[in-house]
Amino acid sequence: MKRAILILGFGGVVFGILAFSKSYFTPLYFEVPKSWPQPEYDFKKNPLSEEKFQLGRHLFYDPILSRDNSISCSSCHAQATGFTHVDHDLSHGIEGKKGTRNSLALINLAWNKDFHWDGGVNNLEVQPINPITNPVEMDEKLEHVVAKLQQSSKYRNLFAKAYGDEKVTSQRLLKALAQFTVSLKSTNSKYDQVMRGETSFDAQEQNGYVLFKKHCASCHTEPLFNSDKFERNGLAVDTALNDLGRIKITGRKEDHLRFKIPTLRNIQFTKPYMHDGRFKTLNEVIKHYNSLGHDKSLPKELAKPMNLSDNERVDMEVFLNTLTDKTFLFNPRFQFPRE
Amino acid sequence: MTKRKYTVLFLLFCFQLFAQSNDSLNVNFKVVFDRFPLELNKRYVSTKKDTITVTAFKCYVSDLEIQFADKTVFKEKNSHHLLDLANPSSLQIPITKNSDKIISKVTFNIGIDSTTNTSGALGGDLDPIQGMYWAWQSGYVNMKIEGQSPSCKTRKNQFEFHLGGYLQPYNAMRKKVININNKSDISISIDVSVFFAEVTLATTNSVMIPGKIAMELADLSSKMFYSE
Ligand code: HEC
Ligand code: HEC
Repeated sequence: MKRAILILGFGGVVFGILAFSKSYFTPLYFEVPKSWPQPEYDFKKNPLSEEKFQLGRHLFYDPILSRDNSISCSSCHAQATGFTHVDHDLSHGIEGKKGTRNSLALINLAWNKDFHWDGGVNNLEVQPINPITNPVEMDEKLEHVVAKLQQSSKYRNLFAKAYGDEKVTSQRLLKALAQFTVSLKSTNSKYDQVMRGETSFDAQEQNGYVLFKKHCASCHTEPLFNSDKFERNGLAVDTALNDLGRIKITGRKEDHLRFKIPTLRNIQFTKPYMHDGRFKTLNEVIKHYNSLGHDKSLPKELAKPMNLSDNERVDMEVFLNTLTDKTFLFNPRFQFPRE
Repeated sequence: MTKRKYTVLFLLFCFQLFAQSNDSLNVNFKVVFDRFPLELNKRYVSTKKDTITVTAFKCYVSDLEIQFADKTVFKEKNSHHLLDLANPSSLQIPITKNSDKIISKVTFNIGIDSTTNTSGALGGDLDPIQGMYWAWQSGYVNMKIEGQSPSCKTRKNQFEFHLGGYLQPYNAMRKKVININNKSDISISIDVSVFFAEVTLATTNSVMIPGKIAMELADLSSKMFYSE
């Protein structure tokens, strides 16, 4: 009995120390803009802290995650282009090897349910296992990355700051990376300012907005301009790549050629467009949608011709440019960590 | 200072004693081929007359639950265990304190449930480093059987069965209930020969994605488990 009391006492001391050391972490608050939906990401399982965010930021910019220390996440996800791959239709990885898909923009990921063009990845935290282990991306082994980080005094220090001790595990690594990527929030475009009543659209933008709501918003839903759904948007299959989309994951016939409906935020800078990067300009994208209307098997929004005039197409593009958020694209908190 | 150190050491020592003073009740798994212990890289002949060597056998067992004859139930918390034939200690799972009660049933899942599959980055036996995780289509591999057989006209005559998938209608986890009637450790055999008695290796030798075939093989894998 006495022993039990002693042990309880000892346990209490240990608990006290742990609780005390915890207070060194600087909690961060994830603010959700008014009238936006609640995020999908479960912050309770990975409470944000400044130290974990900074660890994740270092990891994101560090080629140590690749086999030959040549490729970092930022190689394919550059901030100035909405965290996507600049001017590459298909992403290049290690030794210049080409992948089969266009890199996705990393914007407002907290609200995404599924990840990747086919929705094959079910949680932001496990997404990095893909690029790290993909032979044409970073071609590294997760256990190897853990060992390399454990050997690095810089990372031992950063892990200790983030987690209270120096131990590197894949779970800690993945959760820290998620703290960075989940924080890539873009909520201050001209569109947002208009919605908040701080400014207003000019006539062209307003006309583009009306057209957008009519033809596009059922899939690219406000305020995130994406959707959890997977859809066909009328692109012909590229027979060289033969990427069939969502069907690969679900095995369901109706998912043939369906792809994720990506966000259009910062779309002005995230070119090229579509899962295989086939369009270089927004003009081409809008022309593509405007050319549809003859295939009854497409979703109903795209089954009838839009018949947009030249001016209307321009207005629509002008509206899409109001989704550009410079405070996001140049936010110093998301930049390469110098020091 | 040193005095305090000794006190701490002493307390730790007591703690150890305390932790060990109760014998635990184990669930012990034995991987067999037709009732003989399965050894990796050794040749076996299946009832289909295929010559088989197994180079890896791993599987997840989760949500272990023990029902006693007095109707009480013990549910293990955070119950996820990776059984790996290459790592014998993984096959012995201490789950609770030994009691004098008669055990009537043990239930568990073969594989990992959908909630756990969508819970993000996990550690321990669920660490993706364990090599039981699919990246491009997130999810755990519930059971992995790899090896060689001349019946497979594949590269190096290899066969690879990675059975998994949590999305309906291809949820490959299987619930298993095994009746027991004793007080002490529970012994469960996993008979790999049951699997090879039904799989036609010439045509089915590489299953690496969720789907219909994985579902059929998951049904089969569930028949491999029985109480000795
Ligand atoms: C070689 C280029 C490359 C590298 C390196 C790379 N990515 Fe990607 N990333 C891509 C491509 C291509 C996709 C789309 C993949 C697909 O749909 O199959 C993508 C998709 C993603 C997504 C999903 C976004 C969404 O909305 O679904 C996230 C998150 C992401 N990457 C984060 C990362 C992180 C974190 C790293 C570093 C560990 C990284 N990426 C490294 C090319 C890359
Ligand atoms: C039926 C649903 C649907 C409608 C309606 C729709 N889209 Fe899309 N959109 C998609 C899907 C799905 C993709 C991804 C297709 C792919 O890559 O295969 C996409 C991709 C895009 C892209 C490329 C994004 C990127 O990051 O590569 C742009 C730009 C775009 N759509 C703009 C529009 C505009 C403008 C309209 C209205 C004229 C519109 N969409 C209407 C479903 C839709």
